[in-house]
Amino acid sequence: MAFAQGFQVNLHGQKQIGMGHTGTGLLQDGASVLFNPGALSMLSENYVQAGISPLIFKSGFNPAGTNDSYYTKSKLATPFTFYGVWGPKQSKFKFGLGVYTPFGGLTDWGNNWQGKYSLESLDLKAIYIQPTISYKLTDFLSIGGGFVYNHGIVNLTRAIPLADANGADGQAQLKGSGHGYGWNAGVFIKASKDFTIGLNYRSKVNTTIKDGDALFTVPNSVKANFPQPNTFTASLPLPSTSSIGFGYTPSNKWLLALDVNYVHWSVYKVLGFDYAKNTPTLQDTYSPRNYKDGAAFRAGAQYQAKDNLFLRFGGGYGITPVRDGYVTPEAPDANRYYFTGGLGYKVTPHLDLDLSFEYEKVFARTQTNIESNLSGTFKTNVYIPGISLAYHW
Amino acid sequence: MKNFKLYFYVLLAAGFVACKPSFETPKPSAGTADFSKYIAVGNSLTAGYADGGLYLEGQENSYPSIIAKQMQAAGGGTFTQPLFNQAQANGSGYLRLTGFTATGSPVTALVTDNTAVTGQTAIPGFGNVTTYAKYSGTDINNYGVPGIKLLHITLASYGNLNGFYERLLPGSIGTHTTPYIDFVTAKPFTFFSNWLGNNDALGYATSGGAGDVLTDKATFAALYNLAMGKLTAAGQKGVVATIPDVTAIPYFNTVTVAAILAGVQKANPQVQAIYINAKTAADGTTTYAPRVATAQDMIVLTFPTAKIGTMVSSPAGMLPYGLTPYTPIENQYVLDNNEVTLTKDYVNAYNSTIVSVAGAKGIAVNDMYTFLNNVKAHGLVVDGVSLNSGYISGGLFSLDGVHLTPKGYAIVANEFIKAINKKYNSSIPLANVSAYRSVKFP
Repeated sequence: MAFAQGFQVNLHGQKQIGMGHTGTGLLQDGASVLFNPGALSMLSENYVQAGISPLIFKSGFNPAGTNDSYYTKSKLATPFTFYGVWGPKQSKFKFGLGVYTPFGGLTDWGNNWQGKYSLESLDLKAIYIQPTISYKLTDFLSIGGGFVYNHGIVNLTRAIPLADANGADGQAQLKGSGHGYGWNAGVFIKASKDFTIGLNYRSKVNTTIKDGDALFTVPNSVKANFPQPNTFTASLPLPSTSSIGFGYTPSNKWLLALDVNYVHWSVYKVLGFDYAKNTPTLQDTYSPRNYKDGAAFRAGAQYQAKDNLFLRFGGGYGITPVRDGYVTPEAPDANRYYFTGGLGYKVTPHLDLDLSFEYEKVFARTQTNIESNLSGTFKTNVYIPGISLAYHW
Repeated sequence: MKNFKLYFYVLLAAGFVACKPSFETPKPSAGTADFSKYIAVGNSLTAGYADGGLYLEGQENSYPSIIAKQMQAAGGGTFTQPLFNQAQANGSGYLRLTGFTATGSPVTALVTDNTAVTGQTAIPGFGNVTTYAKYSGTDINNYGVPGIKLLHITLASYGNLNGFYERLLPGSIGTHTTPYIDFVTAKPFTFFSNWLGNNDALGYATSGGAGDVLTDKATFAALYNLAMGKLTAAGQKGVVATIPDVTAIPYFNTVTVAAILAGVQKANPQVQAIYINAKTAADGTTTYAPRVATAQDMIVLTFPTAKIGTMVSSPAGMLPYGLTPYTPIENQYVLDNNEVTLTKDYVNAYNSTIVSVAGAKGIAVNDMYTFLNNVKAHGLVVDGVSLNSGYISGGLFSLDGVHLTPKGYAIVANEFIKAINKKYNSSIPLANVSAYRSVKFP
C-alpha cells in the first residue's frame, strides 16, 4: 500500500509524527530540513538525528458480488530519516543535510488473488538526499533552501494470462532504478514571542527509471512474443507539496501546531512502461491514472510533563488524489484520518529519545477500475510505531 | 538480544493481525429459490466439453460445476458429475496445442492416450457409435450430453445413438429405451439449468450447411415447451440460456476468405478471387451454385487451407481447387451468406421461444446470445485480462473454436449466477474468473 495519499509517505520525524505530522511552522529539531529549510537558521543548536518508522499495514479486497476477501502479505516497510544541521554559533547561516523517504509503496497481494493480472506485488522507494542552506535575515525572519537528489527503485510483478502446459500463469517483473532532481525551500516567521509561521514548497521530482529489467516468464511457444533480455523506461512524477504551518505557545508547558498541505498530484497522469523491444503482443503500456491534487489537514499538541519528558498527540485528515474509477491495487487509496501520539525523553541534556505511534484508517472504497474492470471494495489499516535519536549541541 | 528479537517478531505478528481489515458481506441467500438439489440439463457446453473432446479437466471446469460450487454458500447441496476416472482422464481424447508454424498458425495434435473409449458399436440403420467407459456412480447432477439436440430429448432410442448419453445409462448399448428428458427428470430436484438447443442450429452451421439440418421452428417450440413443462412439473425454479449466434464463434471467423485469398496471392498475384459452392437463396432451397466468395461467407476452422490451388479434376479438366467456378471450395467447408442468414433466422426464432416459454413459467433467462454478441463486438475485460472472440488469443474459446476454455466457462457461470440472483432475489457469490485458465500453451 501507499502510506498517505497516493504514494506519499509522511513519516519525517518522531517529534512531528507525535504531533499529527505538524512541523512546517515549528522549531523542533533537525527534521526542519524537510519540513521547512527556512527554519534551520532559527534553531538554537546543531543536530544529528536518525529515526525509523516501520509500517505495519494490511490492505484487503472484497471482490464485488462475492464473499471472498484477499489480503496483502505481512510485509514491513521501513521509511527512515536522517538529518544533520550545523552552523557556527552566532552565525546567521546554518547548513543541513537530509536523507529521507517521502514517497514509496509496498504491496504484495500474492500470485493467487483475483487481481493478479493487474498487480501481484509492488515495491517502490524514493530516497531523497537534500543538502540545505538557511539564512537568518532578521530576528523574526529566516529563509532556506535545499537541492534534492532522488534515488528511485521500483520492482513490480504481475501475472500474464498465458497458461503453460500445467495451467500456470506467465509472470512479468519490471525492476530498475533511476533518479530525479528537485528542490525544497521555505520561509520561517517568528510573528511574536509565542506565535510562529512557516511556509514551505517542496518541488516536483520527475524520476525516470531507465533501462530497467523487463523480465517475462511465459510458455516456450510464445517466448518470441516476449523478447528477452528486454528493458523498459518508466517515468514517475513525484508531486510537489505546498505547506503552511503555524505554531503557538500558550504557556511554558504547551505547544500547539497546525499544518495544511496541498499536494500537486495532478501531475500524475499516466503510468507508462516503454519497452526497448516491442512485438505485436508486447506493446508499450499507458495506464491512465489522472490523479487530482490532494490535501491534508493536521493538528497536534505537545505537553511538557517534566523537565525531561514530553507528551505529544495529534491527528489529521487526508484527501485522496485518486479519482473514482482509478483506484488500483498498487495504491488502494481513499480519504483517511489518523491519530498520533508520542513520547519525548531527554536522556541527557544533549540527547533526545522520541517515540511515536500512529493509527491510520483508510476509508473503505468500492470501485470498478476503468482499465481492468477489477471491481470490489478495498480497505486498509495501518499502525506505525517509530523511534528516533537526536543528538544536539 | 535473542529474546528481544523474539518479542519484536511476536509484536509484529500481533500488529499485522490486529490491523487486518474485515469485510461485512451479507450472508449469501437462496432468495425465493431452493438450490439444495441442482441439476444441469444441456449439451456439450453443459458437460464441459472443450478442445474438441470431453475430458476430465473440462468436466471439472464445466459451468454447472462452477455454479454449484458458488451455490454451496446459498444452500446448495452436493453436485455430482459423471466424471471420467483418473486412469481414463482424457475421456474422448481432445486437441492440444503443440506449437505454431513459422507463419504463426497454431498446430494442434490429438491426445489419444488414457482415453475412456471402449470401442465402436454398429447400430442398425444409424451407423457406428463410439462408446465410453460407463459412469459407475448412481447420482448425477450434471446431465450435459455432448451432441444432443433439443430434437433428441424425446427419442427413446437416443441412448443407443450417442455414446456420451449411453455411458450415463444402466444397461448395454442397443437396449436403451429411456428418452433423455425422462432420464433427467426421473429423480427429484429443486433447481435446474437448461441450455439445450445450440446443436439444433450449430450442427447445420458447423457442417457448412451440408451435413445436417436445422430443427424446424415449430418442432423446437413444441419440444421446448415439453421440456420446460417436465422440468417445472413439481414447481421447480431454474434458469435457461439463449442460444448464441453461431456465427459469433471463432470456428467461423478465423479462416477468412480474405486471408485465404491473400495467401494465394503471395504465390500467384494474378489470382483475383476464391470460388465457393454456395446456396442460391436464404430459404429452404437445396440449390447450390459456384460463385465468387465474399467477406460475408464464412469458412470453417477445420478447412484444410493447403488444398487451395492444388490441381483437382473437374468437368472442365484439371484445375486449381478453389480458384475457378469449376472447382469451388466444397459446401461442407463454407457457411455461405445465405446459409448464415438462414441460421441466424432460426436461432432468433429458437431464442424467442426460449424467452417466451421461460417468461410464461417465471424462469430466469441468461441471455448468452446478447452476451456473446457483445463480446464479439466489443471484447470483454475481466479483472485486468482482455478477452475477445478470437481463436486462441481471445482467451474465451478452446482449441475447437466452438466450446469454451475454463475461463470462458467461469464467465458463463457468472452470467448464469447473475441471471439467477436477479430473478430469485438470491445472492449466490460470483466465481473468481482469474482462477480459471485460457488455452494451454506448450
